[in-house]
Amino acid sequence: MRNVLFFVVPALLFYVIFVLIPAAGGVWYGMTNWNGLNPNYRFVGLSNYVEALTEDRVFLDSVLFTLKYVFFMVVLQNALALLLAVLIEGRNRGKVLFRTTLFMPNMISMVIGGFVWLFIFTQVLPEIAQTGIFPFLDQSWIGDPVWSFYAILIVSLWVGVGYLMVIYIAALQGVPTQLKEAAEIDGASRMRLFTSIVLPMILPAVTIGMFLALNMAFKVFEVVYALTGGGPGRATQVIALNIFEEAFNMSNRYGYASAKATLLFLLVFIITLIQLRIMKKREVEL
Amino acid sequence: MMERDQSFAQPFVRPSAAVVSGYSVSFYSLFEGISYFILLAATLMALFPIGMAIVNSLKTDGEIMNNILAFPAVIRFSNYKQAFELTHFLRSMMNTVVVISTGLAGIVFFGAMSGYKLSRTRSRLSGFLFGMFIMSMLIPFHSIMITLTRVARIVHVQGTSVGLGLIYIGLGVPMAIFLYHGFIKSVPRELDEAALIDGCGEFRFFLTIVFPLVAPITVTVIILNTLWMWNDFLLPLIMITDSDNYTVMLSTNILFGQYSNNDWSAILATLVLAMLPMVSLYLFLQKYIMKGITEGALKG
Repeated sequence: MRNVLFFVVPALLFYVIFVLIPAAGGVWYGMTNWNGLNPNYRFVGLSNYVEALTEDRVFLDSVLFTLKYVFFMVVLQNALALLLAVLIEGRNRGKVLFRTTLFMPNMISMVIGGFVWLFIFTQVLPEIAQTGIFPFLDQSWIGDPVWSFYAILIVSLWVGVGYLMVIYIAALQGVPTQLKEAAEIDGASRMRLFTSIVLPMILPAVTIGMFLALNMAFKVFEVVYALTGGGPGRATQVIALNIFEEAFNMSNRYGYASAKATLLFLLVFIITLIQLRIMKKREVEL
Repeated sequence: MMERDQSFAQPFVRPSAAVVSGYSVSFYSLFEGISYFILLAATLMALFPIGMAIVNSLKTDGEIMNNILAFPAVIRFSNYKQAFELTHFLRSMMNTVVVISTGLAGIVFFGAMSGYKLSRTRSRLSGFLFGMFIMSMLIPFHSIMITLTRVARIVHVQGTSVGLGLIYIGLGVPMAIFLYHGFIKSVPRELDEAALIDGCGEFRFFLTIVFPLVAPITVTVIILNTLWMWNDFLLPLIMITDSDNYTVMLSTNILFGQYSNNDWSAILATLVLAMLPMVSLYLFLQKYIMKGITEGALKG
């Protein structure tokens, strides 16, 4: 046993200091009125949670906005990634080329991607609209709450679809060729081949794809920070940005922000558990 | 029997394919055409923003104002010179390199040590420790970041590049342990016993035999963590306050605070500089990165 500890202690030390203690501390501070600077703070029980869930309009709006974003991302990111993966795998030539270019945006930081797209939305798209080819592109992408939601979705998908696509490609390559050939010989159509053979075989990857998309979407921060800063007003503020501003920008209410951060954790945790259970059950049935 | 099954499954396709084979061929090529069109459109979408950023980073502000879609009349790198100076690019590059090397050293080495030992020992303690590391993957970073700033101040790692790297070790090591743990199962146990019988100390055995053997997964761990630490923004944002210690991502961010949106030429050059290292690394190591990403995701 001493031997186990000798090998594990270095990693454990860093893990405990920089993950476990802050995690536990977050739960504790969430029940205090700590403001980050003043060493004196009081235990206030669950009043931070009550305030966040009943009085804090801005926070509740950010929760709703995040849920809306999560819904669209989980559906669109997976659907587009799977579509592109299937199309690429269905080709004889150019597989690697398409895969390489479509995955490339994922190598770019969300912040950089957000800033580059800010340029596209505010400078390039109005210019393209002026040439008369796609007049509908001339929108207030950053200034209008409706359009800035689409802008955030577009950038998130631009970065994120390639990631899931690569996972789906790996899963598609894992489907045994004999199985597909056998079905083809039996006269199965392309559509039927996909729904009856390929889709059930790659369902574990779909579980992973949904799980990853869900997790990433709940934690969305950088794209919104770079693109809209949560604006116009606070129309596109997401949970992570709300917590960040509460703690570091506006009020320095560290205790209150910690309570919200714990709520975010619980939200992600519960939804992930539910989703994993549903997906596992469906896999067994097939 | 088989015949009946088939016609049940394919009431429409089979007759049309058999009777008018020409129809089937054109349907097939229509499908191919649509598929090709979608892929081309997606590729265009993926490359367009990067291309626009690069093209316009080579123009003057006047050219950007006049015609954003055109290629530059003369290719100028003056924006890059300006970007280098504005963001102290070399300095922030050096800071980022320090952060990443510190982080990688700890994540790879401590991760491999723990992953090896936890994978080889079947005890309640090792099961508990492994479960504890894995559990953390469910904790969103935002839930720990506030208290992390306080902890970082207490242990004196706040505000420096090395300190930032040390924090990354704590955040990154669970994933590394998980990957090593899985991979080491494929290294034959007989090797351990032979080495121990030969009187080789366990730590030396790990260093000289196991660590070189797990090189494939080490590559994966290095790739995933380099990408993460290079591109990460939020942790440096809350940890680093002194601009001397800014990482590349942070120094890019200040441009948007200091300058209004009309100085796009310098901003675009900065953005291109900030994405160039990872994009070029990707083009060279495409195969490994792709493999690393899928391994990390499928096992994680």
